[in-house]
Amino acid sequence: MRIFLSGVRKLRRRLATFVTFGLLAGLLVLILVATGATSNATGGGPGAAAARRALLTFPAAYDSVVAFIVGLGGLLAVVYGAAVAGSEWTWGTLKNAIARGESRTRYIVGTFASVASVTIIGLLVTFAIGIGAAYVGANLAGISTSGVNDAETLGKLPERLARMAFAVTEEGALGFAIATLFRSQLAGIGVGIAAYFGEQFAGIFLEDITKWLPFDAATAVLGNPGEIAGGGGGVQVAALEPNTALVVVAAWLIGAIVVSAVFTERAEITG
Amino acid sequence: MPDGLALATRGLRKAYGKRTALDGLDLTVPEGVVYGFLGPNGAGKTTTMRLLTGLIHPDAGSIELLGRPFARSDRRRLFDIGALVETPAFYPYLSGRANLRELASSGASITRGRIDELLELVGLRDRATDPVSRYSLGMKQRLGIAGALLSDPKLLLLDEPANGLDPAGIVAMRDTLRHLAATGKTVFVSSHILGEVQQLADVVGIISAGKLVREGTLESLLHSGEALRVRVAPAEAVSAQEVLAALAGADAVRVDDAEAGWLIVLFEPARAPEVTRALAERGIYLAGLEAGSDLESIFLELTGDTTASHEGTFVGFGGAQ
Repeated sequence: MRIFLSGVRKLRRRLATFVTFGLLAGLLVLILVATGATSNATGGGPGAAAARRALLTFPAAYDSVVAFIVGLGGLLAVVYGAAVAGSEWTWGTLKNAIARGESRTRYIVGTFASVASVTIIGLLVTFAIGIGAAYVGANLAGISTSGVNDAETLGKLPERLARMAFAVTEEGALGFAIATLFRSQLAGIGVGIAAYFGEQFAGIFLEDITKWLPFDAATAVLGNPGEIAGGGGGVQVAALEPNTALVVVAAWLIGAIVVSAVFTERAEITG
Repeated sequence: MPDGLALATRGLRKAYGKRTALDGLDLTVPEGVVYGFLGPNGAGKTTTMRLLTGLIHPDAGSIELLGRPFARSDRRRLFDIGALVETPAFYPYLSGRANLRELASSGASITRGRIDELLELVGLRDRATDPVSRYSLGMKQRLGIAGALLSDPKLLLLDEPANGLDPAGIVAMRDTLRHLAATGKTVFVSSHILGEVQQLADVVGIISAGKLVREGTLESLLHSGEALRVRVAPAEAVSAQEVLAALAGADAVRVDDAEAGWLIVLFEPARAPEVTRALAERGIYLAGLEAGSDLESIFLELTGDTTASHEGTFVGFGGAQ
């Protein structure tokens, strides 16, 4: 518990935390407000205009925001997880804890738990900001916001948010594991981004395989990715069924933490 | 291993690939002393520190910490040990105080008020709220020493603790470490700064090419060699050096302290009269004569050849073309 609380305190003051979730929220606001401001423009034809309006129409806007967060948020979570885990090696702070007799496994699991907690809080704040931006965008576009109180959607929202948080946390865990394996912040971030886009690219040709891989599975957890989702939120022809995806994501998440812990437990810390 | 030891290693071996870093290291560190662990760069000092703190694991041999065996599964033994290994490591965006607080969340728990006490001790209280990224190397080193002292350890392992410290900081650190030893704690200091160790240590171990080549009290070490310390008027030091070189050989004489006129000559102490006679015949009269050597001479004698063969020679500024 001490390691977890310490991890949260450290992340709360870390610039990377604010940059990661600030960037996610900023882009979301920018897209939604800009879409609202230009919704009546004719560019792209009537189909595009209808799509822009659909993005801001409640209650569907809830799903759009969630899908965007899983898409771009997944990529940012990989970077964030890698930054946190990698810095422990790059800065040598892991060495300090080990030399004080701390359990390596407990340190890794506790640190990851703090990353997951901060990520979940950051995602929920981003979601709230995104909904606010969609509301503003809808008003700018002159779209009715009466659907914002849609009881059925609001009833399902907690589950949607839980799935979103779980999926993005898994992507953060992958970044965490990659940086741990490379013992480096920079290498962890670089390889994490490469793995993310590599999986998206491979999905063009090997969708039956990539649907089992961590980023595609994370996207499939939501069931119906929104149209504005970036990266992993793209169109999926062979996506896993949502509950199957949930199990696959859980397996990747646990696997990433176990790999991180086992590797650290066995590592010779020479840096 | 005998009782009353704070630290002991037997046959400690460690290799990184094909390179052997430690080749059967046997250390014996009594309780309550300042132990100076000396060795040239690459001799195996930091590898030893890493092994003693569980950061790496030995290929062979055993370690005993505070009277009990220390192996991979005995991490809790480190609760009684404080360490500063290599360069001090901190979260750059956190303050010095916050770094100590977060460090204290791992390993052994600390007493209330301990962090403030240590910040005061290492002279960082006024800068305790500044981010560590704004600290100088010396300040980081002092914070690292504070980190090593967090859990009030019985055994303190410090790797090159004087790195980056200014002269006043070095004196303060020396006083602090002496004080800790006086309270019954054992201080194990690895260094290649011989003068520092000579002023600080009670017991010295010299490592070269992964092996311990000499260990003993500083006093016994300084008087173990066949050497004489000769003091003449500083103005006559050069002439005296020539006379002694003619007597004992050019390689056997060197200046120890030019300002004070001290020379060291590798010459059997029993033959001291020959030295006084040779100098007197040239009109140079002794101001002082002592049996024994200094740590630098002993160190160079014990490690010089092996170091050169493992690391090459430091050529100095402008020496490499």
